[in-house]
Amino acid sequence: MTSPKQILETVISQKRTLLSEYESKQFLSAYQIPVTREFLVTTKSELIHATNIIGYPLVLKGSAGDLIHKTEQNVVRMDIRNDDEAEIAFKDIMKILNGTGGAVLVQELLKGRRELVIGMTRDHQFGVSVMFGLGGIFTEILEDVTFRLAPLDKRDALEMMEEIQGRRILENIRGMEAADLDQLGEILIQVGRIGIEHDIIKEIDINPVIISEGKGIAADALIVLEPALVKK
Amino acid sequence: MGAIYETKRSFMKKFFYPLSIAVFGVADSQRNLAKNIVSNCRDMGFKGDIFPVGRSRGSVNGIKIITETDELPAGIELAVILVPAPYVAETLDICGRKGISHTIISTAGFREYSGKENRFEKDVLAVVKHHGIRLIGPNCIGVICTNSGLCTPFNPLRAKRFKKGRISLVTQSGGVTVQAAHLYSEEHVGFSKVISIGNKLDLNEIDYLEYLMDDEDTEQIHVHLESIEDGRKLIDLARKIDKPIVFFKSNVSVTSAKIAKSHTAALVNDDRIVTGAFRQAGIVRVKNIREMTVCAKALHLPPLSGDRLAVISLSGGFSVILGDACEEYGFKCPSLPRDLLDEIESFRRGGVVRMANPMDFGDVHSIEGLTFAVEHCLKLDYIDGMVLALFYDPEIAKLLGQGSDDTQQMLDFLNATMSAYNKPIALSFLSERQYIEEYKRMSPFPVFNDPVESIQGLRTNRNYWKKI
Repeated sequence: MTSPKQILETVISQKRTLLSEYESKQFLSAYQIPVTREFLVTTKSELIHATNIIGYPLVLKGSAGDLIHKTEQNVVRMDIRNDDEAEIAFKDIMKILNGTGGAVLVQELLKGRRELVIGMTRDHQFGVSVMFGLGGIFTEILEDVTFRLAPLDKRDALEMMEEIQGRRILENIRGMEAADLDQLGEILIQVGRIGIEHDIIKEIDINPVIISEGKGIAADALIVLEPALVKK
Repeated sequence: MGAIYETKRSFMKKFFYPLSIAVFGVADSQRNLAKNIVSNCRDMGFKGDIFPVGRSRGSVNGIKIITETDELPAGIELAVILVPAPYVAETLDICGRKGISHTIISTAGFREYSGKENRFEKDVLAVVKHHGIRLIGPNCIGVICTNSGLCTPFNPLRAKRFKKGRISLVTQSGGVTVQAAHLYSEEHVGFSKVISIGNKLDLNEIDYLEYLMDDEDTEQIHVHLESIEDGRKLIDLARKIDKPIVFFKSNVSVTSAKIAKSHTAALVNDDRIVTGAFRQAGIVRVKNIREMTVCAKALHLPPLSGDRLAVISLSGGFSVILGDACEEYGFKCPSLPRDLLDEIESFRRGGVVRMANPMDFGDVHSIEGLTFAVEHCLKLDYIDGMVLALFYDPEIAKLLGQGSDDTQQMLDFLNATMSAYNKPIALSFLSERQYIEEYKRMSPFPVFNDPVESIQGLRTNRNYWKKI
């Protein structure tokens, strides 16, 4: 596995300020943040190899260094159920990415229906700040989010989860089991730690974090570097 | 820590408890503002020497104006400066040569007027650095300290009316300084110090908070700021302070990071971060000056350690209103034991109202009934505090007291009961304004202005103690 330091060095050496989804998740995994099982593929044989390991249903996403709004770019194919669908989606995405040197991310499709957002930013006054709230499309629509300054302790993390308007989403509702608050809290604490340990990381977005069998798993992630420090 | 720390503390103390002051910019004329500093101090009972300094001969408050600075004695502990901006630096130089190291610069016309680049400001900084002077301001009205009688605002205040108390406020606004001093006094919580800190050219909120955290006359620290110098430092300091901090942060509408790439950065604004950071540090956040006084009252009461309230009102309608408010602010009104309710019901006159929680006391016309209910409810181990809304005036007082007005005894009883069980009673009166004011003045503990305010107050109290 690539270390966080190596991931950053690669991105900086290419003068990029954005980590791809794949790189971002590799980075987060190094901090014990659970992420979707996924492989980056560029050929059909790699694709089949990946689908064999992960199993259906799965998700295919375009991946390139500067690609951030994947849905808007039409490079996300959800709920792929067999080899045929996988191959069609793969070809489609590669065509759209044509010439950008991109690849396709083959990813497990998480079963959970509840989406959260966890993030990190640097406030000019208060420094490293961690965000928690409702994820997916609701992040923008409801802005039901809350912040704490890093380093977070467990109480801070638990308070954040209690503080959002939609806090009941974490409870046992409609037959879905209650979210493991300790495990989610650990993600919040770790995201704060990343901010403190890496000045070059300007922002982190983990959106959505999907609650799957009670545990939070990063289904998409973005890490943004501080341009001034990349160019140095 | 240790010696250096102690030195800074005793240094800062002279800003609030100077033994003598000089006021620069005084003239014996109708329009002069600096002379009001002299009269305000005298009004509030400042006992130290006051030396008015000006260009023309004359006198203010029976004190001769000093026109030759050579005549200023040595050992003056604080200078208040209200001379035009171009003359501030040379006035500071005079202070420095006289050995005055504490100054309040009331004069405006610095960065708030002409942006960051300001020649007068540069001159001022050079002089204070040279002499080792520390300053409050500029563009401020300085200090009102009820303990020492120091009262440096330059508008005439009826400073005698300021009530001594144990709250200290740090504010960036002169208007808030005066308004808060009046409100704390009118609401009978009183205050120890109100500090108008102006442009923070030298001392800033961190310095004042560091002083107030150990100031023995301060039990609650209130802060009103438009801009925070160093948010991280403020939060770290707030965590070390074991006195309640009530914070009114205005100027919160500016959103930052419009070009942010991530959702996280796009959703940040000063307000959300401030909210989170304050909660983390146990700072009570308020949205206006009125709420500061509600907090002042609430945090004077014993701690509310849970969500369970007994609610007593002398009106059926208000029982319902209070029940709604309890729910809105996250409180529960647990059922009370039937045998206790039976006993309370035996005090009824008409026997027409069933007792419950919230409790309608409209049918109980006896002070014994009320005190019995208060004590027996508060004593229950599943009741954390009480809301009491009394329909009350001198006539009702006589009715309750079988002919005699026992209001003072009742208030003293409530106060003693609160202390005995270490649980808060949030009291308000439903009455004419004049009587409400009178009962607020009589009461040995804070009285809220209306029943809903009392529940808001209890919420503040509960949230504060939950965080500790």
